[in-house]
Amino acid sequence: MSFLSILVFSPLLGILVLALLPKTQESLIKLVGFLATLPALVLALVAFGTKDLTKYDVVKEWIHFGSDPSLFSIDYELGLNGFSLILVVLTAVVSTLAAIASIHIKKEWKGYFMLFLLLEIGMLGVFAAQNLVLFFIFFEITMIPMFFLIGKWGYFEKEKAAYSYLIYNGLGSAILLIVIMVLFARTGTANINDLMQLMAVEGANTPSPISESLKMGLAIALLIAFGVKLPIFPLHTWMLRVHVQAPPSVVMIHSGILLKIGAFGLIRFGFGIFPEQFKTLAILLAILGVVNLLYGAFLAFIQTDFKMVLAYSSISHMGIVLIGLGALNEAGIQGAIFQVVSHGLISALLFFLVGVFYERFQTSTIANLGGMAKGMPLASGFLLAGALASLGLPGMSGFVSEFMAFLGLFEAHPVVAAIGCIGIIMTAVYLLRAVLGMTYGKAGREFLGITDIKSVEFVPVLVLLALIVLIGVYPSVLSEPLQATLETIMLGLGG
Amino acid sequence: MENAWIIPLFPLISFLFLLLFGRRLKENSGYVGMALTFLSLIYSLVVLFDRFNHPTYKAEATWLAIGDVQLTAGFEVNQLNALMLVIVSLVSFLVHTYSKGYMHGDDRFHIFYAYLGLFTFAMLGLVVSPNLLQTYIFWELVGVGSFLLIGFYFYKEEAKAAAKKAFIMTRIGDVGLLIGMILLFWQVGSFEYDAIFLAVEEGAISAGIITLTAILIFIGAVGKSGQFPLHTWLPDAMEGPTPVSALIHAATMVAAGVYLVAALFPLFTASETALMTVAVIGAFTAIFAASIGLVQTDIKRVLAYSTVSQLGYMMLALGSAGYVAGVFHLMTHAFFKALLFLAAGSVIHAVHTQNIEEMGGLWKKLRLTGPLFLIGTLAISGVPLFSGFFSKDEILIAAWTNGNPVLFWLAVIAAFFTAFYMFRLFFMVFTGQSRSEMKNVHESPKVMTVPMIVLGVLAVVAGYFNTPWFGTFLGDWLVEGNEALGHGHTEGPAWIMIVATLVSLLGIFLAWLMYGKKSLQRDWLSSRMPITYNMLYNKYYLDEFYALSVVKTTKGLSVLLSYIEAFVVEGIVKGVAGIVHGLGKTGSKIQSGQVQAYGTVAFVGLAVLVVVYVLAGGYLK
Repeated sequence: MSFLSILVFSPLLGILVLALLPKTQESLIKLVGFLATLPALVLALVAFGTKDLTKYDVVKEWIHFGSDPSLFSIDYELGLNGFSLILVVLTAVVSTLAAIASIHIKKEWKGYFMLFLLLEIGMLGVFAAQNLVLFFIFFEITMIPMFFLIGKWGYFEKEKAAYSYLIYNGLGSAILLIVIMVLFARTGTANINDLMQLMAVEGANTPSPISESLKMGLAIALLIAFGVKLPIFPLHTWMLRVHVQAPPSVVMIHSGILLKIGAFGLIRFGFGIFPEQFKTLAILLAILGVVNLLYGAFLAFIQTDFKMVLAYSSISHMGIVLIGLGALNEAGIQGAIFQVVSHGLISALLFFLVGVFYERFQTSTIANLGGMAKGMPLASGFLLAGALASLGLPGMSGFVSEFMAFLGLFEAHPVVAAIGCIGIIMTAVYLLRAVLGMTYGKAGREFLGITDIKSVEFVPVLVLLALIVLIGVYPSVLSEPLQATLETIMLGLGG
Repeated sequence: MENAWIIPLFPLISFLFLLLFGRRLKENSGYVGMALTFLSLIYSLVVLFDRFNHPTYKAEATWLAIGDVQLTAGFEVNQLNALMLVIVSLVSFLVHTYSKGYMHGDDRFHIFYAYLGLFTFAMLGLVVSPNLLQTYIFWELVGVGSFLLIGFYFYKEEAKAAAKKAFIMTRIGDVGLLIGMILLFWQVGSFEYDAIFLAVEEGAISAGIITLTAILIFIGAVGKSGQFPLHTWLPDAMEGPTPVSALIHAATMVAAGVYLVAALFPLFTASETALMTVAVIGAFTAIFAASIGLVQTDIKRVLAYSTVSQLGYMMLALGSAGYVAGVFHLMTHAFFKALLFLAAGSVIHAVHTQNIEEMGGLWKKLRLTGPLFLIGTLAISGVPLFSGFFSKDEILIAAWTNGNPVLFWLAVIAAFFTAFYMFRLFFMVFTGQSRSEMKNVHESPKVMTVPMIVLGVLAVVAGYFNTPWFGTFLGDWLVEGNEALGHGHTEGPAWIMIVATLVSLLGIFLAWLMYGKKSLQRDWLSSRMPITYNMLYNKYYLDEFYALSVVKTTKGLSVLLSYIEAFVVEGIVKGVAGIVHGLGKTGSKIQSGQVQAYGTVAFVGLAVLVVVYVLAGGYLK
């Protein structure tokens, strides 16, 4: 088997082992679940250390339609470029850390971890897939385990959240499926690179396989399909429920990675296959981005539950991705990609800490958690650090992405960007209100028998913080692998 | 000079080390912090003396590449930077030392020193930045250091509110700086100071853009340096431990705004409007804050308003094209204001209150603190022979020669206010009746008094580096090799110095009449003009105004949006869910079990597909 196939399917081994274990062996199941995420992590890091990514490409014949051997075949194709590699690494890292965070899961560990690992396969596959059909299959693979993870291991309104998740994402993927099928039917290929080339060489001597208006329609359909995932206002309400109802370890994955599939799809397929159309849509993206940024920020300001604050904060921060994309220049797009990674790490950190607090106090309501710093100084300190990262403090990853996205947008649409800058202030306002509300001030409770963050709980916090600071201090760690991808995108956009 | 980058690293090491091991070191953490900032100080002095004999040194490396654009990070040692390095590391070292005594017994002693390290690192990094982006990065880090230290007593609600307010108010300014910086970048193609000045000089940037970006950047300075209308966080920041007020909210961070305008001086001088804005805001802030300081009763708040007022002076100087005057006053102010805060801390340490109404007669009990406080008071009041006299004189000359009599007279009145409220403070704290409940008042330990003595000496002699009498060494050196910065010293009419002296003596005399000799009633103002008094006492109700306008609007908008979310957006959701539900219902009705019906549907479907296939002509090759 090839390197990438092993990387993507390595969690399967864990699923098999788990299937053989008796379901009462709590600690053993948790250990296996954690260990099963490690091979993918190691391999992802190995890939991150390699210069030449093309050697990982895998092509195997799979399904074929019709008589022309060069057309209508759907192969099993995996491959990586700089952008997808970074997301594979992010997935592997966050999955391992979320597996550690799963120590707080209280029941049916066996089922939980089997679904968890299946989810990881889906996510790794989404980023490594080289054709649209394969992408779609992996995309769907992420949905099913997620539905059960929310619906079974979540909080009070978990079923409602799970159905809400399913309906929205189901509609999104239905639209996506239509786009993929139209592209496949019209061009005869589902390979992403072929499609990109096919769309790029139009006009010259070959007539375009797809009319301009249909292209625009497909581009808008893609925007909606991935807009549900990102999520773009007003398609976001499902995601609030998931954030609040799913267990923190699952939200780490959801907010850290699954939402990023939306951004990944927009950049890789939207900008890759429909560059001309997205150029036209750019101003719309920028405006949607500012709307997301401000809408999320203002609503986060009045939430009483910290999880809701973070949920709206995610909406707000995904606005930065759109802002960067709407800028249509290198600074903006690089900022958007940085934001994808940065928010993945920061939201994973913050939701892990939510789990740490919830485990001890059975609440995430801000008013019930005042003065935490007295009883849990370390956890409170980490929470503050996470909040500072989230509000874009220099020296941490959030600043680099936010800065580049705004740098880009100020060149393209200075007025829109200036309005968006209100979001920078509001982010500080709502995050400090929430975090200081929880940790500073008079403690309204006794801390008898409450332990501060301890032992294995340190691992996710320290790893995530280290990565956040690494990107913030030395952003070249991301920008160098991204160089080639970015050039390709800019070439597609016409320089 | 080539190794100047190492100066900020010492306090950074202190921060990281104390964060990791401070808990075990307990109060020995203080020695770690002191030793490392001392190294910074020594190195800063070496760099300063090196800079006297060598040209500006600059080194950079790529930090982040965006396409073809390389954003760099590095350091630069020019005159201003070298001077700032010494000021910052000196005050920081003295505050580190002083805190050893002041914070004694606090169970988060090591955290305090860790935060001090973080702040000092950021501040030193700020003053060696060779480009705007790096300046912005450290600018924000400085803000965080300040935020953490204001909120050091995190369990106090006031400290929490003050820390939050400081962060948010300064961030409003920071966004101005960010926008200005980015707009400049797209004009110049670089964040480098040199490149920006070159573009300004060559006229590559339109006058409108220069004015716009300069004012936007100035908004950043307004936030950080507590200028009107973003000053309200600074008095509240006094909730932090007093050594912090001396370091951050008197000598270093709040001066960063002044430093920023000075560092970008050639940009500002390219626009009359921008300079005018700086001068007007500065002069207004100077008198506005001084008038509030007249009636406050908290010793630290009086000093805080005096800081706001003095920073206004510096801005006025820069806005009046008095580069040297502004920087000079920054330096003297750093020394005498740090001295005043540390002395105030020593008083608070002794009497455990900050209310000056509850103090009195401390001169006899605090035999060191008293005279040192007096030195600081004389210096800030502009009494001849003390440092503040010389630097204030330079500012007044700059304001006069720049041809703006209104601003000049505002500054003179502010000087009168300053002398009055500072001596009001002095007389109320140190003279008069000693309170009976204050029997166990002791002078502070040596570790606290020695830093104060050092600052006391500097508060006297720092003025002589740049006097019209013996020579303007500092000024000449600061502008050497850079014509854009103006002259080292501007000759002004001699009467300015006389007026300034008279005005400050008059203020002192009035304060003595009211609070020393008590031949004038103390409630003279409050009884005669209660409205004016209340307005001053309540700081012109600006906080209340902000609470009513900005805060209410933000809350209102949020609530409005939450209604939109609940009714409009959720309404759409319900609609979508309804459609899905309806489709499902319809679908299940069709599944009636009648095979004929299925057959019909299948046949119609096939027919439609065939027609579509024929019309579309299959796929395109």
